[in-house]
Amino acid sequence: MDTTAKTAYLTKEDAVPAQPKLLAHPTAKTGLMSWLTTVDHKRIGFLYGVFALFFFLVGGVEALLIRAQLMYPNGTVLSAQMYNTMFTMHGTTMIFLAVMPLSAAFFNYIMPLQIGARDVAFPRLNAFSLWTFVAGAIVLNIGWIGPIFGVDGHNAPDAGWYGYSPLTSRQFTPGHSVDYWVMGLQLLGVASIAASLNFIVTIINMRAPGMTMMRLPVFTWMTLVTAFLIVLSFPAITIALVELMMDRNFGTVFFEVSGGGMPILWQHLFWVFGHPEVYILILPAMGIISEILPTFSRKPLFGYPIVVFSGACIGFLGFAVWSHHMFTTGMGTVATAAFALATMAIAVPTGVKIFNWIGTMWGGRLMMRTPMMFALGFVWMFMIGGFSGVMHSAAPADTQQSDSYFVIAHFHYVLIGGSIFALLAGIHYWFPLMFGRKVSEFWGKLSFWIIFVGFNVTFFPMHFLGLNGMPRRTFTYDPNLGWNTANFIASIGAFVLGIGIAVYFAVMIYTYYKGEKVGRDPWDGRTLEWSIPNPPPEYNFRVIPTVHDRDAFWYEKNNREQIAAERAVAEKAEEAHGGIHMPFNSIWPFFASFGLLIVGIGSTAFEAKWDVPGIHWKLGLSLLGGLVTLVGIYFWSLEGNEGYHLHLDKDGKPVKGHGDDHGPAKH
Amino acid sequence: MRFVPSSLVRGGRFLAALAGLLLLSGCDFNFWRMDGHQSTMTAEGPVARSQLDLFYVTCWVTLVIFILVGGVLAYTMWRFRARTEADERAAPPPQSHGNPLVEIGLIGASVLALVIIAVPTLTAIWYTHDVPEAEKKNAYEVTATGYQWWFKFEYPAEQAAVDAAGAKTPLVTGNELVIPAGRPIRINVRTVDVIHSFWVPKLGGKIDMIPNRANFFWLQADKPGYFWGQCAEYCGDSHAVMRFRVIALDEKDFAAWKEKQLALARSVAAPAAPGAAAPVAALRAFKTNEVGVSAAFDRNPLEAWRARQVVEKDENPALIAQGRELFAAKTCNACHSVRGHGAMGVQGPDLTHFGARTTVGAGLIENNPEQLRRWLRDPESVKPGNKMAKAYRDNKISLSDAEQVALTAYLLSLK
Repeated sequence: MDTTAKTAYLTKEDAVPAQPKLLAHPTAKTGLMSWLTTVDHKRIGFLYGVFALFFFLVGGVEALLIRAQLMYPNGTVLSAQMYNTMFTMHGTTMIFLAVMPLSAAFFNYIMPLQIGARDVAFPRLNAFSLWTFVAGAIVLNIGWIGPIFGVDGHNAPDAGWYGYSPLTSRQFTPGHSVDYWVMGLQLLGVASIAASLNFIVTIINMRAPGMTMMRLPVFTWMTLVTAFLIVLSFPAITIALVELMMDRNFGTVFFEVSGGGMPILWQHLFWVFGHPEVYILILPAMGIISEILPTFSRKPLFGYPIVVFSGACIGFLGFAVWSHHMFTTGMGTVATAAFALATMAIAVPTGVKIFNWIGTMWGGRLMMRTPMMFALGFVWMFMIGGFSGVMHSAAPADTQQSDSYFVIAHFHYVLIGGSIFALLAGIHYWFPLMFGRKVSEFWGKLSFWIIFVGFNVTFFPMHFLGLNGMPRRTFTYDPNLGWNTANFIASIGAFVLGIGIAVYFAVMIYTYYKGEKVGRDPWDGRTLEWSIPNPPPEYNFRVIPTVHDRDAFWYEKNNREQIAAERAVAEKAEEAHGGIHMPFNSIWPFFASFGLLIVGIGSTAFEAKWDVPGIHWKLGLSLLGGLVTLVGIYFWSLEGNEGYHLHLDKDGKPVKGHGDDHGPAKH
Repeated sequence: MRFVPSSLVRGGRFLAALAGLLLLSGCDFNFWRMDGHQSTMTAEGPVARSQLDLFYVTCWVTLVIFILVGGVLAYTMWRFRARTEADERAAPPPQSHGNPLVEIGLIGASVLALVIIAVPTLTAIWYTHDVPEAEKKNAYEVTATGYQWWFKFEYPAEQAAVDAAGAKTPLVTGNELVIPAGRPIRINVRTVDVIHSFWVPKLGGKIDMIPNRANFFWLQADKPGYFWGQCAEYCGDSHAVMRFRVIALDEKDFAAWKEKQLALARSVAAPAAPGAAAPVAALRAFKTNEVGVSAAFDRNPLEAWRARQVVEKDENPALIAQGRELFAAKTCNACHSVRGHGAMGVQGPDLTHFGARTTVGAGLIENNPEQLRRWLRDPESVKPGNKMAKAYRDNKISLSDAEQVALTAYLLSLK
């Protein structure tokens, strides 16, 4: 290996000798180092999933504390300030650290398998996204340490997940909580944008032969739309956060009223990101449902082109409705009317999806397995959440509902009944593929029913609470307002829901170790990911498949001879080409992300009064972290794009001693 | 592929049905009751009514669609489910791909359904935006300003006395907005710090109070009444307890109220020779967040409000005089105004006629001797994070039992 710049056209004969030790490629296949250096999209997807589920549980505990506080009027479980911290962190955690990364886990793990690729386009960038996400999550949550050690001003963020200016200014929220929030979200944004660019390039460039855009599985389509939404919407919040950071730390006046700043500007910037974000959370879920329903109905998706176009249409319209979060800000009649109508319009493509899912099941043979139960739960719950969404589009009526519990009911029906149900369905659905084991139907269904009942008992009464005038984000309420019963029921439901989630994960963990082993393709799947052995080998596909139809694997199963002949030819061609090309592992993405973590903590948590002569912590650590990141990226680029080749025996095992001809990639 | 589902599916359905029955039958579980003080479902003015009517339109349209689509979905799930193991093992059904006519038809139907919602939405947007032209002359204007965490109400058209020499200033009150019933009220909303939102559910939807933004809206009460309001935009620690009231009075009562308000604060002559002060018992301890509103008040709040307009029966002029001195000595006057008593502070609510209000701490607890004393003794325990508690801490203010009683007597005398 050499350190000079190479192009992909160099062959190994051109390779120049001895590489400095520092740049030796990590080769660990097991143990901690193998996870820190992995560039395998499946391992990265798995890690995304593990972190996401951890934060899902953290956000869940925060939710239960909220419900414990509100179980009775004038509750005393939490102080006002701690309650405000809880709802801020519950929202931020669930959106950025649970649902988004859990979707990313599926994007990473499933999408390349669905398009017949061996990895994503930029495997190291993928690792960088993962570790930067972890860095962002740490920075966001570092404020919990403050109260534990009694350090004043270092509490967790408590200005709401939407961080409305000017409450977030230094004047109204002194201390460091908002700084953690700003820097944490900023890092998460970097991670999301890097990952999304990666997915876009992967889907556009790395499809197997014959996998035209209109043959892409719908989940992959929704991955693509979501990735575009992320790339286009995150810059808005990035700018807003930079402005807020400048206001707080460097005396600018973007939102500073005394300097002529406009707090309303924050709302526009935030929601121009925030509304597409809603679709970032729900489109992957719709993609998962569009995979599960056909599989368990044993029938192709009804109206595939319309489902795909409606998904893209939601993506476009998602950028045109942000101000429906601001119907009470006095926008004037014309703007209010425009956003109300646009919001109604977006209900059409959403409704189309529901019609097509029903059309998919119509005339099918519905196999009521656990993933299907969750998927059907999704369709029902999402429908209810969608209808309350349509109610919100009627702006004058919405001025009564906005910031009330009616809104809380609405978006939890969409985000739990929608996103979470779909993600839980997806975990059940792809579990056999990922781990080669299947969750027991009894325990899977049991957890479904507990979750389903708990969820509805929690959130259905909240519609009535909201219409009865209970505002959001209130740590207490008086007993004479008629809210006691509904709050009590909701809290009981929340604990049932908590039990359901606990059962769900207990079953998952048990299954991971002890579950029933299953063979390839246990659900009689329709898409390419089911065509490979489980758990998938590191190289995914022994032979890159050629795609002939929309449900590619269904076609393969019905045309075995044709496919076998094609495979044989393709395998020979690939072997002649040098074998299966695999990318090297690399520590540098982790290293670069670690630098960002140092920046994140250094620039937010340190106070001037802790400085010792000669050391300015804030500046010093920021510069150090930046340097670490630069060094990481520098060595990362020195590594070049080479990899190694695998040669397989007939069982799909790499042939020892033959698979390590480390050479640059050949294309 | 083992066939397992049905027993559990049936069990789940049974449980769900049972839960539904329980919820429907037991009157203790009536979470759908929507007749609270802040209910949006009992409109008591034209703005709230137009919003409620629109809500019903959206409700009925979506309900009908839900029944139709849900019905088809339920039928599909029932009709096409695999019932037996043989069903599961059977050859797959015909692999159909869709039906463009059906899909276009459904899209058309959805658009039509949305038009039913869109038309009244547009009408209501224009109607609720500002006082209708024909009513403009009759409209009454007030300005509501949000503070962390209370509301200031200003009457720009009413000039109140500031001192005996005849200086005037627009009338200002705090946390209780008194309006004439049957007249459109045009409200300018402002804020001095963060974003707040003005919301009186029975009279109309909310409008945000945003810095550097001159928002306004209007509402109207059909008839005299006492209405609950609440800040509806998260504004920091005490957001949940930033409440207020709107009291609508008929023209005669309103004029009488106004006349009283425009006058200087009521003064009670101190007795020439004050008797020896009786020993004062300590106030009982309160639980955290303890409710501060009595059931009697709750039953007829408008009557309770009227009762507060008259002078306290057991007034003690000596205590009142002592309290008035304390109001200055404890620097209460740095933040609060009492017109005519030399207190000119503007950071806290104007207290000129505080004794005539029904609540303390921004609509939080009832204005009676016990609750008021609870508030004066330790505001932080009643309303976490509030500015008065901060002033107590910063200026090391504490009140002895006797001082609490004297200040209470003084404040309640300000009718």
